[in-house]
Amino acid sequence: MKWMNRLFRYPFPYDTEGTDQLFLRAVRENCRYQYLHNAKYRAILDGKGFHPSMLRTYDDIAALPVIPTPVFKHREMYTLPPRRMPVKATSSGTGGVFSRVGFTWGDLCRGLPMVLRVVGHRRLFSLRPANYIVFGYKPHRSNHTAVTKTAFGATLFTPQLHRTYALRYTDGRYVPDLEGVIRAILRFSRSRFPLRFMGFPSYTYFAMRMLDERGISLRLPKGSKIMLGGGWKQFYREAVDKSAFYALAKKVFNIDDCNIVEFFGAVEHPILYCDCPRHHFHVPVYGRVIIRDVNTLAPLPYGHMGLVNLISPMVMGTPILSVMTDDLGVLRDGKECGCGLTSPYLEIIERVGLKDIKTCAAGAADILRETGESV
Amino acid sequence: MILADGVILGREEQSRLLDELEDHINNTRARERLDTETVIAAIDQLGRRLAAGEFDGLIEAVGLSGKIEELRSFTRLLSRDYLKRKVDAELGTDWDVPTVSEAAFGLNGTQTRAVPLGTLLHVAAGNMDFLPAYTVVEGLLTGNVNLLKLPQADGGATIWTLQKLIGIEPRLRHFIYVFDTPSDDVTTLRRLAGMADGIVVWGGEGAVTAARSLAPPGAKLIEWGHRVSFAYLSGDWRAQTHQLTALAHHIVRTEQLLCSSCQTIYLDTRDMTEIEKFCENFLPMLEAAREEHPVEDIGAAAAITLENLTSEIEAMITGSAAEPCRKYRGKQCELTACEDSELTVSQLFGRVWVKRLPEEQLLPVLRRQKGCLQTAGLLCNERNRERLTDLLIRCGINRVTTPGGMSDVMMGESHDGEYPLRRYVRMVNIERPAGETRITDPSLNS
Repeated sequence: MKWMNRLFRYPFPYDTEGTDQLFLRAVRENCRYQYLHNAKYRAILDGKGFHPSMLRTYDDIAALPVIPTPVFKHREMYTLPPRRMPVKATSSGTGGVFSRVGFTWGDLCRGLPMVLRVVGHRRLFSLRPANYIVFGYKPHRSNHTAVTKTAFGATLFTPQLHRTYALRYTDGRYVPDLEGVIRAILRFSRSRFPLRFMGFPSYTYFAMRMLDERGISLRLPKGSKIMLGGGWKQFYREAVDKSAFYALAKKVFNIDDCNIVEFFGAVEHPILYCDCPRHHFHVPVYGRVIIRDVNTLAPLPYGHMGLVNLISPMVMGTPILSVMTDDLGVLRDGKECGCGLTSPYLEIIERVGLKDIKTCAAGAADILRETGESV
Repeated sequence: MILADGVILGREEQSRLLDELEDHINNTRARERLDTETVIAAIDQLGRRLAAGEFDGLIEAVGLSGKIEELRSFTRLLSRDYLKRKVDAELGTDWDVPTVSEAAFGLNGTQTRAVPLGTLLHVAAGNMDFLPAYTVVEGLLTGNVNLLKLPQADGGATIWTLQKLIGIEPRLRHFIYVFDTPSDDVTTLRRLAGMADGIVVWGGEGAVTAARSLAPPGAKLIEWGHRVSFAYLSGDWRAQTHQLTALAHHIVRTEQLLCSSCQTIYLDTRDMTEIEKFCENFLPMLEAAREEHPVEDIGAAAAITLENLTSEIEAMITGSAAEPCRKYRGKQCELTACEDSELTVSQLFGRVWVKRLPEEQLLPVLRRQKGCLQTAGLLCNERNRERLTDLLIRCGINRVTTPGGMSDVMMGESHDGEYPLRRYVRMVNIERPAGETRITDPSLNS
């Protein structure tokens, strides 16, 4: 696993241009391993007429068969026996269907330097202790979601004094406790140590609005930060544009937008994306993103919206080398950002599917005879 | 946004408005009366101004610029002539004029007339832009006060349509209230439902169940639930290229999103090879139709591509023999030849089931979907048409059309087996004591 390890130990986390050849070698190494050890993956490559040896140049990566994430939801795809994988994570899952991805010790060892480099690049590590409010799930042995693990991980960026969770595990289920969180915020705001928030943007926003509606405006200790992760997906209706979010954070907590950091990742593509000071998700060296045409799946140039193909050779335990999520996104030239990073950045626009689909046939009436169609 | 008394208000006004609403409505109902002619005149004028392009700017502003031509071509359905005929067909001519039953059989005579149900709460579902406004129009045509709960996806088109209508006929302003209350604000919805004599709900089982739980005892529930439609091809389909092409166009044009859209194509046969031959012949027609009407919504196109890729990859993992149905894939369309005969909803967007259903099996199979059936697009020999039409009706089908015309509006048609306007009125009887001959309704003296 020479090339894979070398990629994840590469010292410059956003030097994608300088790592194209290394990335190709790591992808070929991973692909060969999966092909030899995973019969399901081999069946896919054979079915598509692809062989790992066909990965000769960097551009050949686009020809690598792409596995849509629902495949990992419908069946177990592990390459190694579960006993050899210390961590098995699931996606948050909608409708009770989860992707299952297993990680080996080697996978985790590759992940660690990546996290250190990306988080370090954004200067989130500090020796100064902090209090933590987690707008997410309190870890529990029954909870295998990646989002819970990463939220907990983010509380390890500094020594921690207290952790308060917005979602507590009580009587076999998670219950939100925003009032408890508000009380904790008020308490921690009087501390001399910084307060750090980590978790779902939606809960963070709810809590800020609750404080604002009560006329509360705090000056949190210097060094306080808001870290966001887990996406807006459950709360599309409450989704606010980011500028409104930043304005409210300034008003309620006196936190400037340079101290608001957002993470993005998926269990099927466990690469840590961290936004830059201009709040763009630049692609780090550990992954590559190809936006594909929604009809032909052909790769699209910068600036075009399409299906999001995420590629990373990090994991051996599960063949998540090249996956496709159910998001529509756009990749932009990194130079357009202006933050100094040159690697391209990804914008997730929306979920695939007809927006707010309501069809009579599928279960909800919709159209109008006025438009010439009978309902 | 809220529309009340012809004025657009912010969400923050909702609570004040709700406190006063019952009094407003009572006032209106005690003092004012809306006759059908007033409503028709206003809609007719709105339609003509729409056709003349007067509202194009507004339509663009609410994000419907791509639909301007389509909307304009349907303004004929807003014309006085069409609306008058609709009202006459559904309620009878001069529906609000009382009829008199003379005393007989030892019983007193009565004067009978149709009056509005009173106050209607419309729970409009859907992503179709003008359905919410249209359900209100039906309430207005029958003289009701209308409370409308907008669907989440409404981009503002409903409010401007109704505001323009009030601009044309200010008397309508006391009969229209629009709320953008979210579906999970049960408290507000229950308050609105508490003021209603009838609750008109558009939607699937979820919406209907929710509306039932909101409805106070005594409120009339008017449910426009989901329906499923299919095409039925009997006899030799090979000679019917023209009709099959029309069916293909119907499928891709409606994207199978309507209750009247074809979900399954049935062939009157027991022979699976006939189904396969049909698929081979029909796929090029479907593809050609798709060429003319590509999937416009990028999200929908992406969903189809992703689903296709997923099933392709899964077939590679499991071996394609595991697939119970044979798929015929075209560009952005697909036919699936299935062994069973069940009527099921398709995967939409040009992806149709093709199944066997011999005539003698029609009733037992379709009866399993009772209450959910709507349109059958029938293709058959002329000599069998009457018999098959009759059989389909006995199965519970409410509309029998040509395969290509499954979603076309027909003059005088009902909606899911009923005339909507009839459900928005009630019949009242006023006893005429023996010996009285004069009809006292003042409207007749005018």
